[in-house]
Amino acid sequence: MSVSQPTVIAIAGAAGVGKTTWVRQQLSQATGDRFYFCPGVGNVPIDLTQIMSEFPTIQVLTEQQEVYQLSAQATVYIELGFHLDLASASGFLDAVAAKRVAVLPLGAEKSDWHDWADQVVEGATIANWVEPSHLQRAVLTGQVFDPASLNLFWFELTEAAYGQICRAKGIFDLVDGRAVCFDFVSGLSGSTYTELNLHRWLDGRPERFSGIEVVGQAADQAAIAQTLADCDLSDAAIAHYQAQLKQSLGTEEAG
Amino acid sequence: MKLAVISCIHGNSAALDAVLSDIDHHHAEQIYCLGDLVGYGPDPNAVVETIRALAIPTCQGCWDEDIVVGLDACECSYPSLLAERRGKLAHAWTSQAISPETREFLAQLPLSLRLDNLCFVHGSPNSQHEYLLPEMDESIALERVMTAGAEVLFCGHTHIPYVRTFEDSHVPVHRIINAGSVGEPRHGRPNATYVLYETETQQVTLREVEYDYQATCAAILAKGLPPIFAWRLARGLEFAERADDPTHICDR
Repeated sequence: MSVSQPTVIAIAGAAGVGKTTWVRQQLSQATGDRFYFCPGVGNVPIDLTQIMSEFPTIQVLTEQQEVYQLSAQATVYIELGFHLDLASASGFLDAVAAKRVAVLPLGAEKSDWHDWADQVVEGATIANWVEPSHLQRAVLTGQVFDPASLNLFWFELTEAAYGQICRAKGIFDLVDGRAVCFDFVSGLSGSTYTELNLHRWLDGRPERFSGIEVVGQAADQAAIAQTLADCDLSDAAIAHYQAQLKQSLGTEEAG
Repeated sequence: MKLAVISCIHGNSAALDAVLSDIDHHHAEQIYCLGDLVGYGPDPNAVVETIRALAIPTCQGCWDEDIVVGLDACECSYPSLLAERRGKLAHAWTSQAISPETREFLAQLPLSLRLDNLCFVHGSPNSQHEYLLPEMDESIALERVMTAGAEVLFCGHTHIPYVRTFEDSHVPVHRIINAGSVGEPRHGRPNATYVLYETETQQVTLREVEYDYQATCAAILAKGLPPIFAWRLARGLEFAERADDPTHICDR
């Protein structure tokens, strides 16, 4: 690698094994200019949104060409989704002299990721992992949920009411203005629920990204979509709750 | 006398038939029913026909009232928007499925029944819609029993059976006995629940009865009710509603 190139680290691995978790750990320790690139994310940038809320100063790349323009002081983390073809990314990764890190379960059988990686990092050990056969992604921007409905949906989703699920991750806007990230991996105990470090949205339907990604086997996509639609609060209900919250928050601040 | 108390059948005739067989096996002399004959389940008319044919004294449940007079819910009826939408869907389906005879029968059901020092209600003496949860404040719960003028208050509505005894408060001892649910259990298993009660000894037996819940699940799908109702029934999760707030006082 020439001295003028940035440090590039590419991360790959199975769904739910902990790629984003590993990147977040690295970002929390890294110094200097930090960049994040998640190719193929399309219009459902769940991991990107989560990382940006946790690391507001991180700079996000949207095109691989941008990597070539970075200085040697920059560190770029490229997270490759499990559904991407590793071979198709090889040319670019070679060109930028990327270090290849595969996040894999402890004791994972020999796989393409082993052959691809310069370094294997131990990720989550997932019991009873089932090879996924479909990926469902949906933008939920503008939808607002009451927590009880969202919990009910998430419980049913992760308990296989709509088909066997391997992995589910979503960012949802709640009626109290907060945005939360729900994260589920089959075989790990329970889901994780994280509030994102974003401002409370109390002025109508949020104009920021929210969405869901479900990886599974023969999941009923229509039923998932319909249930999410059934959870969406009406404009009138949102306005009512937001007015109450503004009044309550204003009272607290005044007090 | 040995009594059997059943509640919350919710249009599940397979569960009702299994419970009636179990009651026969235990030689109960009288059956009381605490209502919610219809709603969510696929066989509302068949359930009502069975109750009528056996002349089982029955009080009116919240669903029985709603089907007759229309929805007018307090917030406790629907703890979430999703539960509300599912409940309304089930209400619309049930309303078009029941016969005029079924509707007429549900309309004339009394709000409570009495047998000596025993009182039978669906939710509470105040309302068919009020939940007497086992964690409810003791003074409020005891007040409900006293309001009924009874020593033992039988109720349902929560779909989870329990016995609550007010040992220190009064002599004679007052009790709330919740019969659980025949057709829409919420205790984490698909089995039907009901209660046996010996009037002489005051002995209470909570019964849990296995039945062919898959037949009910198949009927739910065949009749066009939402598949999620079948999924929840098979897991003893109740179809849509949850009552989790013991501090809530129903204001319907």
